[in-house]
Amino acid sequence: MVKTDETEPNSPSPYPLAAYSRSMSPDTRHLLWSVAPGAIWIAIFLVLPSFYLIGVAFMTNGPYGQPQMPLSLDAFRQLAGFGFLGWSPGNLYTLLRSLWQTFVATGLVILVAYPLAYHISICREKWRPIMLLAVVVPSWTNQVIRAFGWMNLLSPGTPMADAAQFLGLIGPNMGLYPSNFAVTLGLVYNFLPFMVLPLYAAFEKLDMALVEAARDLYASPVRAFWHAVFPQTLAGLLAGTVLVSIPAFGMYVVPELLGGGRAMMLGNLVANQFSGGSNWPLGAAGALIMLIATFGGLYAMRKVGKRLGGGEEVVI
Amino acid sequence: MRRGAFKRGLTLFWWLTIAFLYLPLAVIVFYSFNSANSAAHFAGFSLRWYDRLFHNDQLLGALSNSLVLGLASSIVALIIGTLIGYGMYRHRSRKLGWLIVLIYLPIVMPDIVFGISEMAFFVSIDRQFGVLGPSLATMIIAHVTFQIPFVALIVYSRFVGLDPTLFEAAKDLYASPYKRARHFLLPTLKPSLIAAFFLSFTLSVDDFVISFFTAGPENATLPIYIWGAIRRGVSPEINAIATLMIGAVMIAAVLSLLFNRQGRRQ
Amino acid sequence: MTAPSSAETTDTSNGHVRDASAIALKNLHKRFGRDAIALDGVDLDIHAGEFFTLLGPSGCGKTTLLRILAGLEAPNEGTLTIGGKQVTDTPPHLRSVNTVFQSYALFPHLSVRDNITFGLRMKGVPANERRRRVDEIADFIKLGALVERRVNQLSGGQRQRVALARALVCEPDVLLLDEPLSALDAGLRTQLQVELRRTQKRLGMTFVFVTHDQDEAMVMSDRIAVLDSGVIQQVGPPHEVYERPVNAFVARFMGHVNLFEIQAVEGARVSTALGSLTMERPLPADQQQGMLLIRQEVIELGPEVPEGYNALEGVVRERLYRGSRVEYRLEVNGILLMATASNLGQRLYPVGDRVTVSICPEDVVRLDA
Repeated sequence: MVKTDETEPNSPSPYPLAAYSRSMSPDTRHLLWSVAPGAIWIAIFLVLPSFYLIGVAFMTNGPYGQPQMPLSLDAFRQLAGFGFLGWSPGNLYTLLRSLWQTFVATGLVILVAYPLAYHISICREKWRPIMLLAVVVPSWTNQVIRAFGWMNLLSPGTPMADAAQFLGLIGPNMGLYPSNFAVTLGLVYNFLPFMVLPLYAAFEKLDMALVEAARDLYASPVRAFWHAVFPQTLAGLLAGTVLVSIPAFGMYVVPELLGGGRAMMLGNLVANQFSGGSNWPLGAAGALIMLIATFGGLYAMRKVGKRLGGGEEVVI
Repeated sequence: MRRGAFKRGLTLFWWLTIAFLYLPLAVIVFYSFNSANSAAHFAGFSLRWYDRLFHNDQLLGALSNSLVLGLASSIVALIIGTLIGYGMYRHRSRKLGWLIVLIYLPIVMPDIVFGISEMAFFVSIDRQFGVLGPSLATMIIAHVTFQIPFVALIVYSRFVGLDPTLFEAAKDLYASPYKRARHFLLPTLKPSLIAAFFLSFTLSVDDFVISFFTAGPENATLPIYIWGAIRRGVSPEINAIATLMIGAVMIAAVLSLLFNRQGRRQ
Repeated sequence: MTAPSSAETTDTSNGHVRDASAIALKNLHKRFGRDAIALDGVDLDIHAGEFFTLLGPSGCGKTTLLRILAGLEAPNEGTLTIGGKQVTDTPPHLRSVNTVFQSYALFPHLSVRDNITFGLRMKGVPANERRRRVDEIADFIKLGALVERRVNQLSGGQRQRVALARALVCEPDVLLLDEPLSALDAGLRTQLQVELRRTQKRLGMTFVFVTHDQDEAMVMSDRIAVLDSGVIQQVGPPHEVYERPVNAFVARFMGHVNLFEIQAVEGARVSTALGSLTMERPLPADQQQGMLLIRQEVIELGPEVPEGYNALEGVVRERLYRGSRVEYRLEVNGILLMATASNLGQRLYPVGDRVTVSICPEDVVRLDA
């Protein structure tokens, strides 16, 4: 951690750390003493474990699920479906399903959140904080409980399940969960506020003069919206998309409770390798993909965000 | 004319969304008062599940685990995070990019990767050295790790919002470094420290995924207990405890609204 | 407009013993980073009990100098003595110096009373004496019921007063004021200038005041130091700095516009683009380069030229009527000359009129470029 060779050579100290500390300017020493405990904490208990996990992804699966040498790309091969019994699409399907669910859920969240945020922004000012709170409060309850609420609503015999049966969407005596549909619903439910808040911020800052001018120039409300309103909300939309899609891609609780085996997502695949399935390298490889997706997404957002004008302080 | 219809449509959409958001919670509350042991039909009003709740030792144990974990981790995170927040502010003219990255890391990292990597790390340390096996200690460590950034950012933003000459005024008015901390820094920071503590505590009590992967068999927290109960097959008591938790959230929501009102008036 | 006030200033400063230096600065240097020089060798003596002003444009180093006096900044080189004690390396909380900050820096978590007692509390003054002294100072500054208010209930002017009280109650050797009036509107500002000066005279405390406003500096100060690029350009009482600026920078900063480069010198006659002007006495050999200054208000307009005056012919190009005075933009030999006439009821010259300009040789001042 600390390089001792930078201390003064003529004063060999039995306490290299103390000597090093004394060799710094008071300002630097102050910085280190205030910031070091937290920085070291996060380094040891998050950065180090993450690197360990990345390392595990490149190791071989041992007979009891523990990772062992030699280094190999087995885990990634398994993720692509190549197992002992030849190729099977299970893992690959899980990966693709995660992408698809993230894509669909994010799209649906945008469709719901956009008019919602606009509606809040045009309501009377004294109601707006209460309306925003009303949208956010459900997400303050524990996510396990929220998923449980949907289990109650979608299980066999409930009005929603009955309606679906009547329409012939599901067989008799079946519920709407576990299913891919229930997972999508759960994801939308979970992440709706994450999209409403940044979009509302964008709508609130909306320059109405531009909208008026556009109504003047384009006359049609649709074209006015497209040319004057939509571009101004783009940064909020972008922020919301990141806030929704990144955690949705790594979601564990919702697919576990509402999905079941055939609606599994990457998070469940990863978790299973560390409990029942016991294949640490495979789980670590899945986690590595999630990390890449997360940081890739954040990086892309920063790039696009800067091109959008940079003025928008996008939440990260 | 068309404008009016558009606005009415929006209002209708708003109420539908609110129904969508609150329906799952309402169902839980509703069935928590159901005398029958079923989620499918309502047999009559009863408080029996609440009564059962208070005699369920496992559940009460989980509750106490949650509180101990929340308190312990919040205190540690408050100290460490406040130091970072202060350091970041004092040295904001320096290039602290590495520190910013480090601080945002726990926030942006997906829960599941966070939890899994901690667990894999702790288990390996345990196998090698026989310490840090899954226990309350590992949970506290993991929780502190994700709480630190929030405390640091709250403290930092409080400092940034202050007039920087206040620090100089304190020096100018004969306050030694110790007296500056005691009579200026801490009193000015107090509301933020309280807020940071409560946020840390809430994050800890609310967390499921990270706790789930770092907990030992005896350390089930409330969310973990509920999870287990759901997986085993639902017991109506879950509705009751969930209702209590929903109630706590609603009270918090009302309080935050009142607090904001008052804050704005000042 | 400054004549009466400058006369008064001379009187008060003469009343003090000249060698009682409250503050002595020797060869102060201050750099920020590698090449941003804030102070470049400042030597200065500030006398006990005087109202001393550091005047200059933003970035001239005046605020840095004040911060070094307060101990909030350490000089790279040089020494600082306050009240006979060398305090160059003394931290701010151990210096008997207090500051009224530009933003006032009142502690938001404390009431007005607690703000004022803060310094005394930190010094360990007992509670009953603290109360007595706060009441005393509140009375002196006329804070009245403000003492029991919260800081966020105060207006700008009230905050300024509280900040002043908070600093004065500590009875420091030197009070530093960092543009304390710049955030206030013009009317309040004028009123507080007068109040601040009266307060200083009644207490007899040494005040070091920083401002970029030369009018403010002249109204309030016993002496002014004009700074530019980290160097003191001139130190003197207001009338001296205003009437006899040592160089073009000081002259322009004090609001003068009629500056003309010296082209040739022949005895007491000096030629410039404006024309040939007679000075009171011949310029010594080492001062035959530089500029001539003719203050706006010394220029007389009218047909008759007093005995011995310089006379020039000009045309009125613009006239600005300001009530108590009238400003003319004149063209003389193709050069712009500004003249200010007191409005004594004599005739106003219309634009386009030819006028004779008279300037007393005594009012033609030579200065460095």
